[in-house]
Amino acid sequence: MNDVSRVKPRPLSPRLSIYRWQSTMIASVVHRASGLVLVLFVPLYLWLLHGMTGSPEDFVQVQSWLHSGLGKLSLWVAGVALFFHYCNGLRFLSIDAGWFEQRRMLRLSARIILGMTIFVAVILGMLL
Amino acid sequence: MRLVKEPGSARSGFRDWYMQRLSAVVLAVLLPLPFVVLILVYAGVVDQFGLLDIVDHFVSRLLHTILIFALIIHAYMGLKVMIEDYVPAISWRVTLIGGMLVMMSGFGIWWMAIIWAWGG
Repeated sequence: MNDVSRVKPRPLSPRLSIYRWQSTMIASVVHRASGLVLVLFVPLYLWLLHGMTGSPEDFVQVQSWLHSGLGKLSLWVAGVALFFHYCNGLRFLSIDAGWFEQRRMLRLSARIILGMTIFVAVILGMLL
Repeated sequence: MRLVKEPGSARSGFRDWYMQRLSAVVLAVLLPLPFVVLILVYAGVVDQFGLLDIVDHFVSRLLHTILIFALIIHAYMGLKVMIEDYVPAISWRVTLIGGMLVMMSGFGIWWMAIIWAWGG
């Protein structure tokens, strides 16, 4: 186990302030951030599920909340986070399987997924 | 296996890594389904009876249960790695990871209770 006094002077591993910002690093950081967002969405999803399968009045209430500003924003944030986390997760799995391991492909795939996420964010924003 | 300097709470590292990937594959198949249902309800394509028909089905309950297990494993492994990376004090780590486990177990039980209680 760690001896805190010994460990203290050493830097924390993913030091965001010292790494050069590049697409692969951004993809990794956003993967963590979107994962955190999705975890926070779980209690909300449970509440929605509970309401939607409850009485007809509950269903109407949940429907109107979903169509309110906050509801739309929640759906948008969760949708965009899910899209990125999903695509980048598949990217991570394929890298683990030994595909797209060249540096050029790592960067290109990260850029493509980040670009697609921005596109989806705009489209979803217009649709909701 | 060579011992790393700071293995964290994972002990071997490989098992956590493997479980994270295994649960990811399960989620890749199952997670889009509830989101699609949610969007269909939002759009008014599926009404409450339609929704109950979908979620009441035995297969849906089974898939939902597998989804919950995979989600909890995946979220637990992911958040644990983040806590270990950004929280250096061991006392805080233990508190946060422990609290997270309790919260996730609670939500998991509540979720399962909701799913298996439908339709009596």
